[in-house]
Amino acid sequence: MNIAGTDIGGTFTDLVGCIDGKIVTSKTSTVPADPAEGVVETLRIAGCSMPSMGEVLHGCTIAINTVLERKGARTALLTTRGFRDIYSIGRGNRIEAFNLFFHRPKPLTERSLTFEIPERIDARGNVLTPLDGAAVEALIPELRDRGVGAIAICLLHAYANPAHEKRAGAILRKALPDAFITLSHEILREYREYERTSTTVLNAYVGPRVKTYLRRLADRLEREKFRGKIQIMRSNGGVMSVGLAATQPVAMMESGPVAGMIAAGRLARDLFLDRCIGFDMGGTTAKTTLITGGIPAIEEGYVIGGAASGQPMQLPVVDIVEVGAGGGSIAWIDADKGLHVGPQSAGADPGPACYGKGNDQPVVTDANLLLGRINPRRFLNGDMQLDVGLSERAIASKIAAPLGLAVHDAALGILRIADAAMSLAVRAVSVNKGVDPRDTVMIAFGGGGPLHASAIAREIFVPTVVIPKLPGTFSALGMLMAVWRQDFVRTLVGRLGALDAATVNAVFAELSAAAEEQLTREGISRSGAELTFHADLRYLGQEHAIPVPVTGAQLMTGDVSRLRAMFHDEHAKRYSQSAPDESMECVSVRLVVTAARRERERVVELWMNEPWQPEAEFEESRRRVVFADAAHPVEARVLWRPSLKSGMVVNGPAVIEEPNATTLLHPGDAATISAAGHIIIRIG
Amino acid sequence: MTNPHPVTVEVVRNAVVAYADEMANVLAKSAYNMMIYEVRDYCCGLLDANAQMISQNRGGLPIFLADLGPAVEDGIQRYGLDGFVPGDVMIMNHGGVCGQHLNNVVVYAPCFHDGKIAGFAATRAHWVDIGGVRQGFGSSATTDIFGEGLQLRSLKIYEAGKRNETLWQILKDNIRFPEASLGDLRAQVAACSIGIRRYGELLSRYGRQTVEDCVAVVWDQAEAAARRVVEQIPDGEYVAESFLDNDGRNLDQRLRVKVKVTVSGARMTVDFSEMQKQVISPLNSGKSGGIAAARVAFKAVTSPGLDVNEGCFRPLDVILPEGTMLSAQPPAALGLWSIALPTVIDTILKALAPAIPTRIPAAHKGDMGGCSFFGFRPDGSRFLLMNIFGGGWGGRPDEDGESASVSICQGDVRNTPVELQEIKYPFIIEEHGLRPDSGGAGRYRGGLGVVLTYRCLQKCRANINLERLTEPPWGLHGGQAGAINVAIITHADGEQRSVRKETEIDLGPGDRVSFFTAGGGGYGDPKLRRKEDLQTDLAEGFVTREGLADYNESTGAQV
Repeated sequence: MNIAGTDIGGTFTDLVGCIDGKIVTSKTSTVPADPAEGVVETLRIAGCSMPSMGEVLHGCTIAINTVLERKGARTALLTTRGFRDIYSIGRGNRIEAFNLFFHRPKPLTERSLTFEIPERIDARGNVLTPLDGAAVEALIPELRDRGVGAIAICLLHAYANPAHEKRAGAILRKALPDAFITLSHEILREYREYERTSTTVLNAYVGPRVKTYLRRLADRLEREKFRGKIQIMRSNGGVMSVGLAATQPVAMMESGPVAGMIAAGRLARDLFLDRCIGFDMGGTTAKTTLITGGIPAIEEGYVIGGAASGQPMQLPVVDIVEVGAGGGSIAWIDADKGLHVGPQSAGADPGPACYGKGNDQPVVTDANLLLGRINPRRFLNGDMQLDVGLSERAIASKIAAPLGLAVHDAALGILRIADAAMSLAVRAVSVNKGVDPRDTVMIAFGGGGPLHASAIAREIFVPTVVIPKLPGTFSALGMLMAVWRQDFVRTLVGRLGALDAATVNAVFAELSAAAEEQLTREGISRSGAELTFHADLRYLGQEHAIPVPVTGAQLMTGDVSRLRAMFHDEHAKRYSQSAPDESMECVSVRLVVTAARRERERVVELWMNEPWQPEAEFEESRRRVVFADAAHPVEARVLWRPSLKSGMVVNGPAVIEEPNATTLLHPGDAATISAAGHIIIRIG
Repeated sequence: MTNPHPVTVEVVRNAVVAYADEMANVLAKSAYNMMIYEVRDYCCGLLDANAQMISQNRGGLPIFLADLGPAVEDGIQRYGLDGFVPGDVMIMNHGGVCGQHLNNVVVYAPCFHDGKIAGFAATRAHWVDIGGVRQGFGSSATTDIFGEGLQLRSLKIYEAGKRNETLWQILKDNIRFPEASLGDLRAQVAACSIGIRRYGELLSRYGRQTVEDCVAVVWDQAEAAARRVVEQIPDGEYVAESFLDNDGRNLDQRLRVKVKVTVSGARMTVDFSEMQKQVISPLNSGKSGGIAAARVAFKAVTSPGLDVNEGCFRPLDVILPEGTMLSAQPPAALGLWSIALPTVIDTILKALAPAIPTRIPAAHKGDMGGCSFFGFRPDGSRFLLMNIFGGGWGGRPDEDGESASVSICQGDVRNTPVELQEIKYPFIIEEHGLRPDSGGAGRYRGGLGVVLTYRCLQKCRANINLERLTEPPWGLHGGQAGAINVAIITHADGEQRSVRKETEIDLGPGDRVSFFTAGGGGYGDPKLRRKEDLQTDLAEGFVTREGLADYNESTGAQV
């Protein structure tokens, strides 16, 4: 089956396809006014014949940009009586602790469009006050008159009993068929009313715009005679149908950046690497994720638009730590002569000083160029000629002179600061999770990953780095490997060992039923799906729970000693202590349903692992490159990656160039070209 | 000292804060009580061998600014630097040294490098109970420290890695929620061990001298940033005064908060000489309370965006004679130590307002905003519900104040979710909303307080301690004051009464307790408020028709 993954970024739309068993790639400028046009264009350039395409996978930033730019629908919110302001009160916290002029998250709805409904359910799901349906109906004229495009309904304890939300939703859906209506329990079945409300409102707010976009994409592809399925990347690293995406767009907030981590996970599995760190460095930011057993770490929610005043989103999302350090990050000096890199970026336009497009601020790429680490004639496959003189001038005037450093010293300083910032991000995804970087392998990709990976690995003692094939378009490749995935959760609070078997069985049954219903809707056979349950456990009295995999309800009701032991281990691993004598409590049960696209995966897997076919020999050259000592550049080998044979060993110092990336080997590093053509670096 | 490479400085600057954050992560994620995991009432940091602050975790509590140092210093004085060995862990909450309520327990551990002590990793966290006659957020009834719980002065809870079982047993037998507090203690010990491990790695990597040189540079840079701002403030003496309601015993006797701020060149002096003398009730703090209050105000004015370290405060002098409410002498009661501090900080800011009118907002809600309910469930188990809630912040030189936010002493401190409270405790929360008309009128309106109503499902007791009823959050430059705090108890039989400061109030099923928290003061003359802003206020319900009276002079009845 022919398939293609398309990734719409801020500057470029990338495509990696698998056409007749061959991997094809293409790249075109993003068309901001009509992104679907860019998708069609990449397909055309890559020579994908539309009627032959079975699947188009798609990642984009439209949902998150709608939030960041506040361009969503006019959204109304329905709450339990007495709780109109839950959403604007939030948690009351001030992350910027000393800032007298702090800003709290600004609600995406107006207070005058927030309506209280007489109803009340308690923490056990009992109805205290029945829903007043007439009160819901009474809102209809106002919702209509005020041009409400979306409605979020979030009632207290709806995670325990959704009946009232369902009834209110049914009334409004009937009366306002064009409104985009979201019920909190359909999105999230967990307590914490503010976070659930925020997630529900986010879904409603972006809903109409995302739905329109997805419809346009589908129509546009159909016009090109595309007859296959469109799948959308979701934040949890899986994909969903375009139909589900249109009702749960909040699940595609991180649709863009997760795909690369999926690819890294797959590669990790192929290489039998248990603990890996995925590292993706692009033009503006670097992103990193812990990958265990081939699976990227998942976080239960995050904050969109910055921790201090962003919007909480409580759905599972690949745990990506992002730092403002990329090839285009600007180096600058503060009033106290502190040297910084980023988070401001020169982007692609005007780009680095060496582009000669009028930017005189030095960026990371300028430093790399000045120190001989990248080739001015081979940048972006030779499409962009770089001017070293401009880099030198920018670094000399903006950094070296004010700090009283030699220009090469200053350039090296810029890189070391960028590397240090990225190292801390890598540390955050590893050590903060109880993983020692010395036991990991880094998989580095993106335009800048292969260039900086060795230095970062050295900084935090990662012994091995893998640079995959096609590192520059690895993210789009990742889409081809993503599985269909849906997460479900039910609250189940009780002491481990004293849980009522009937209740536990009911929760597992309910989760399975919800999963099967969803599978049926998506047209996926039950036999092709994999169901994985986790129990969220904690010591009695703790709040934060740790998910522990469970095979079924019996693990939680019969002899619980195995489950207890698993939890002690995980707790000790994460927090360097455990309390084997203490009681334990369950908080909720999670179900992750995945369905592999075996055929599609097989082709990509084949390509990833097929024996490497080098191109014709290419004469190696040498150039002087600065590594640790700015005053003493080192003569380094310069090699052309496509010509390297598998099994070949390259010792640093060396530079390995390819069309969209450069791999830098520091002195002491030893790289081997694997049978499949990946570069495996032992850090010296 | 040699000049370290600027790049190494940058690496060290980021690393030491990341380590403190990592400690905080371990503490919060494995903690047992809501005050830590939900409310985030803790701080973590690294100190050098002289007990000077190298770094502190981001977020967390601003008011924990001055006070890890003195706790560690006391241990150094007691044992000497030679008196520590690897594997030692100290526990410390002594009132006379730490100057705050005994629930705030400091746990710290020495970090060794090349066989010598190179610094300390320290945590302070609010234990749910530390014994004594009171529970939850302070009773106002104690008159000395001895009734407030166990005092632990620089004791080794671990000696060379071995737990001190005697001390452990004493703790276990003398506090109300031993599982929770000892669980928190374990979490604090784990956080410290992470801190010393990371700092040790850094020292091994770069060498102790280099790291300490880098820290010195970071401190110098922080100092320079603060000095530059102070230099811009016109020289002069700035005085302000405000009042706390009472000491909790004599409810009609106001307490005076008077500060004199002197700016001279690049130095600022905060003088508390005329501060209220120490009181018999637990509204006192030790010296660290006064110093922390001055530091929070100073940091907010000079370098709110920079990480906290010892250098930030070098341009600040604090004159704090012994025996004031902010420098109480033992055995003063300290149970409600923090109550006065938001007002003290706001008063320092008020003093500076005429000098730098565009950089100081009007007063904020001015209290710590908490309540506690406690009792026994039908199965005999003990419960203690604590919650922190926000209020209004003052109007600003160019925008309205924020609503429903925690005090200036509390940064990343959070309210407890309604659903979580109802899952864990026998209460129904009937309302949690914004409080219309509570924001002080002004060209830029004060933020709104909140309304929060609990209905008891069973017999229990509550501590309520409200402040700033006699002096509402003031406006600035013509702005009006915000609404004051109010708490009302409505018994099941309909009988109603308001509460100011009361301890162990008896409640029964069906009784309701409602809190109406203060709003922020307004900034600038209300007559100058833009008509469209008033229209929005009215449409959104931030100001009601009745509340318009505060503005009507200029806008007429029609908005």
